[in-house]
Amino acid sequence: MRAVNLIPSESRSGAGPGVGRSGGGAYAVLAVLGGLVILALLYGIAHHQISSRRAQAASLTARAQSAQAQAAQLAPYTSFTALRQQRLQAVSDLVDARFDWAHAFHELGRVLPRDASITSLDGTIGPTSGASASAPPASAAASHPAAAGSSSSAASASPASAGAGAGATATSATPPGSVPTFTLSGCATSQQEVALTLQRLRLIDGVSEVTLQSSTKSATSASSAASAGGSGNCKGNQPVFTVQITFDPLPSSSTIGSTTKLTAQKGAGG
Amino acid sequence: MTTRDRLVLIGLGALAMLAAVYLLVVSPERKQASSLNAQVAAASAQLASAEGQVASARADQTRYASAYASIVSLGKAVPAGEEVPSLIYQLAQASNQKHVDFTSISTGATAGASPGATVSAPAVGVASAGFTQMPFTFVFNGSFSDLYHLFQQMNRFTTRTTSGGLQVSGRLLTIQSTKLSPSASATATGAHPTEHLTGTITATAYVLPATQGLTGGATAASPTGTATTPVSGAASTGSPSAPPAIARVAP
Repeated sequence: MRAVNLIPSESRSGAGPGVGRSGGGAYAVLAVLGGLVILALLYGIAHHQISSRRAQAASLTARAQSAQAQAAQLAPYTSFTALRQQRLQAVSDLVDARFDWAHAFHELGRVLPRDASITSLDGTIGPTSGASASAPPASAAASHPAAAGSSSSAASASPASAGAGAGATATSATPPGSVPTFTLSGCATSQQEVALTLQRLRLIDGVSEVTLQSSTKSATSASSAASAGGSGNCKGNQPVFTVQITFDPLPSSSTIGSTTKLTAQKGAGG
Repeated sequence: MTTRDRLVLIGLGALAMLAAVYLLVVSPERKQASSLNAQVAAASAQLASAEGQVASARADQTRYASAYASIVSLGKAVPAGEEVPSLIYQLAQASNQKHVDFTSISTGATAGASPGATVSAPAVGVASAGFTQMPFTFVFNGSFSDLYHLFQQMNRFTTRTTSGGLQVSGRLLTIQSTKLSPSASATATGAHPTEHLTGTITATAYVLPATQGLTGGATAASPTGTATTPVSGAASTGSPSAPPAIARVAP
């Protein structure tokens, strides 16, 4: 008896060993389920992150708002400190912008030759380095302060009660770049002594130029000296000279350094 | 359709379904989580900034007493008002110490060398903002050495220390011009002219702007002028115990 295959001939070749009756559909269902599980896991993680980070962000925001409220409550202290710093800086800048007159006088006394004497001294601080050497000292002294007063242009300053930015900045009456100039009148025992005086005056600390305006030896020198604002101390046969000393321009405060630490000192006059 | 084709189609369908689920459900959630990460980072930065501000403000609060004392001390150098009496007092005291005769003071910048020169310029040069300049003209009589020491003393009213700090004991003055000439009295009495000089000094003092008080409305106890509630126990030290400071330099 011969065995007979009842499977249709077109179905015999495509059927694999594990396909089974579902034709592989079971595997597909399993794969889909596995994928869905993975996706569900990812979704769960993301959802947990969202909820936890929302809570974290809310907590941080609340803490930040609380800190900002505290900072706002303490803002007057910050503003006052800023006011103090700005005012301290302004005063320091003004201190630094001053010309050291005492030192200049000390230097003048140090270098002046024994046989020369000064009958008058006129020192001014001019606004620019191009000050005219022939300008009368008196008029310079008269005009400059007024000019300094009128040309003062200070930086911004707002009401102190407003807190920050309420400091004071100021333009010095002797702003950086101003040139101190001394005009000396005096007499010496001889013209050689006048020359020596010119040389010695150049030794003054901070002097940039020493210019002789006149040195006159005549019988009327005494009267001319007196008329020039000097004195009658010069003898008639002594040369009477007028010298202009020009100092280096005043430095800016930034070149001086601005370490500012206030040492409160009680009492007046020092 | 063969069995293989069916399997391929089933696989593609399953993949498409998984992709759709990912794109429609999982991916938006992950994106939201990422955006929340950025929000958390921003909130953390905001918190750090706010905490920094609080720390700085608390430090300022702790230092308030010294800052108040400093600003009051600076008021000696640059007062809120003109304070001419205290300026005269300081100059008189300094000239007495240096054996110089304080002859005259006049407001405004004058060129006259004679005592009691008339006022020839506005008493107060008002700057648009910042310190207000007040030009003065002083006349002193004394020897060259004494006048030199007086200049030193005037500088020392407000000066820098060797450590770079600022020492304030009086009015800040900027000397703009100086004229030394033989004293008229010495000439009249026949004394040696160079031994007795008349020094005419043009100087500028400074005043705080009218819009600012000396302390900007602050008191020794509080920067707002009223008692404030301390934010924390640690931060409340200092200010209530600040001693009242005296700004004016007066006899």
